[in-house]
Amino acid sequence: MIKFENVNFKYARSKDASLNNVSLKIKKGETVLICGESGCGKTTLVRMINGLIPHYYEGEMSGKVYLNGEETSKRMLYETAKTVGSVFQNPKSQFFCVDSRSELAFGPENMGINEEEILKRIDKTVSSMNINSLMDRNIFAMSGGEKQKIACASVDTLSPKVCVLDEPSSNLSLEAIEDLKETLLMWKKEGKTIIVSEHRLYWLKDICDRVICLNNGEIIFDMPMKKFKNLPDLKLREYGLRSVNENLSMTPLKSDLNNKDYITFENFNYSYKNFDVLHIDKLEIPRNEVIAIVGPNGAGKSTFSKCICGLMKGFKGTAHIGGKKYKGKKLLQKSYMVMQDVNHQLFCETVLDEITLGMDELNEKKITNILNKLGLKSLSKRHPMSLSGGQKQRVAVASALLCDKEIILFDEPTSGLDFYNMEKVANLIGLLRGKKTVFIVTHDPDLIRRCATVVLHLEKGHIVNSNIIGVRKEYEKEEEEYYGAAVSLCRQS
Amino acid sequence: MDDSNNPAKNNRGLYLDPRTKILFLITITTFALGGAGGRRVEMLAPVLCMVPFLLLITAKRFKTALVGIILLFASSILLEFANKINMSGLLYYLVLGSFGILSRFLPCIMMGRYLMESTTVSEFNAAMKKLHISDKVIIPLSVMFRFFPTVMDEAESIGWAMKMRGISLGGKHASKIIEYRMVPFMTCCVNIGEELSAAALTRGLGGEVKRTNICKIGFRLQDYFSVALCLIPWILLIMDVVK
Repeated sequence: MIKFENVNFKYARSKDASLNNVSLKIKKGETVLICGESGCGKTTLVRMINGLIPHYYEGEMSGKVYLNGEETSKRMLYETAKTVGSVFQNPKSQFFCVDSRSELAFGPENMGINEEEILKRIDKTVSSMNINSLMDRNIFAMSGGEKQKIACASVDTLSPKVCVLDEPSSNLSLEAIEDLKETLLMWKKEGKTIIVSEHRLYWLKDICDRVICLNNGEIIFDMPMKKFKNLPDLKLREYGLRSVNENLSMTPLKSDLNNKDYITFENFNYSYKNFDVLHIDKLEIPRNEVIAIVGPNGAGKSTFSKCICGLMKGFKGTAHIGGKKYKGKKLLQKSYMVMQDVNHQLFCETVLDEITLGMDELNEKKITNILNKLGLKSLSKRHPMSLSGGQKQRVAVASALLCDKEIILFDEPTSGLDFYNMEKVANLIGLLRGKKTVFIVTHDPDLIRRCATVVLHLEKGHIVNSNIIGVRKEYEKEEEEYYGAAVSLCRQS
Repeated sequence: MDDSNNPAKNNRGLYLDPRTKILFLITITTFALGGAGGRRVEMLAPVLCMVPFLLLITAKRFKTALVGIILLFASSILLEFANKINMSGLLYYLVLGSFGILSRFLPCIMMGRYLMESTTVSEFNAAMKKLHISDKVIIPLSVMFRFFPTVMDEAESIGWAMKMRGISLGGKHASKIIEYRMVPFMTCCVNIGEELSAAALTRGLGGEVKRTNICKIGFRLQDYFSVALCLIPWILLIMDVVK
């Protein structure tokens, strides 16, 4: 079905090659997982299958990619689109219409299929994917999981023979991943060839039959899932992979609380159009700890975090920090959110300007200190937009630290990150512990186990469970082992 | 995202063909904003100005409609008053400038807003197709429709980020407020635009075959009435020119 022959690729504006002499064959009906650390060439490989390389993304390419016996570079993109359906990482930028029904019709409409047939296909997809409740709705008002379902459904209406998914679970909650899993199993049953590139591996172990791992644009192994499943986690860490048998329990780090100081949130209620989004009368949280906020999509996590930052209009709640009472605008001065899309919060021309922007008076010593601590010293003259994702995140944290914020909030800081980068974020958050109160909105159990000391479970706007200082038994030991391995590897390289 | 921007789910009130709405928009801008047609049409202009508000009322957007009507009436009464007492000098210019512009622009903006909010992308496409407009024009226009809510979303998040950094009109960095808003805004829009076009291409946009459209649109009784209403000023204008 798909054949790569000695393929090399280099993006137009980059120095390093993205793919290096890759040859592989994928048979019809196979389901393949492509994994590897960030920047290993997974996405490039996927883009070659759906034809975006070389037709949309420019660069130097050599070698040949065959799809169904035909070379993709010689086929027009809309021809390839008939055979290959694609689901991308970012749910917000892959739908083309505003309402869901037109979205499902969009693909077949482009193919010039007649109206009756399109309607028939939509009905079939809606019933097989069980998405009747999502029909005729505004996609902009949907949660990430629902958007991703619509993305899958609109691939389904085209009924392609090959489906490629590029990190589809990055922005999804555990519940939404289960739904995605079901869709993939359905496609597998229909005999489609499926190629998934992913960082989170656990949900694919029952779906994929074959695993290909990339590193620096080269295939380092290609083995059946049966064998891959039994690889020890230590081995996976070597390749920068997350666990296949991921522990999904959201248990916090076991450690002693730093102090007996508490932050008290009172009257955290918020309703939108007579619908209770958030309903917390009183909540006590240990100060200067790392608090993870978890819960399914639509549980009120983001409302809660915006309320903490004082961003919600008409919100009347208060926070007592160190004997003082804060509300509204005062809360806004005390807290800072590191957004999921960090690009929203970088305004200046150099890193140095950026982090000093909110400061009242310039304090050289303090600035150097924080730059050193976050490893930004050598980058201080760079333009923030030219940095990598993780570096941007650190710039945002640095600016929060220099503004003397009391509360720092991270909105899904590890979505779409591989093992190393996730660990780096965990270390960064660990640095803040004891100095600032840190909230993390996350779906990532790995991250929670590494740095959170308190886990707040939200559901339907209520706190259903708060787990302060969890107990970890076997896992604790295991984790130390992985961490040691990762550190020694980093030193080697 | 606010639900009121949802044409599919919202109560859209009186159903009008997108073509009728576009005709309304053009007519209102020509005669109410542009002031074409001279004295004959002058009597009709207030009627045209009321159209967008009536449409908003049928869509159960009472608050928006009410505020709009009050603003419109208040500004025209004020202008009348200013003329009556022979106001002159700077104050007159200020009143004329601000309220004159308001009363002329408001109906057009409201009509445009109603058009955007009550029309789905596929309805718009279908209407354009029936007007025999080329795909090369339709696709960019429909992308614009799609991009509008995205842009609002991005702008909102950036606004939040600025608030958290204390960048505001009253703050220290007031002079650079536009720059600070535009830099991240452009980056985000470019990124989304790139991903969006990649997604659209993998779903076969830009092929040589003729696109189909499953959306059914057509003229109904209310459309004929509306078209008739729109034609009156145009006929008057033509008569004026011919004479």
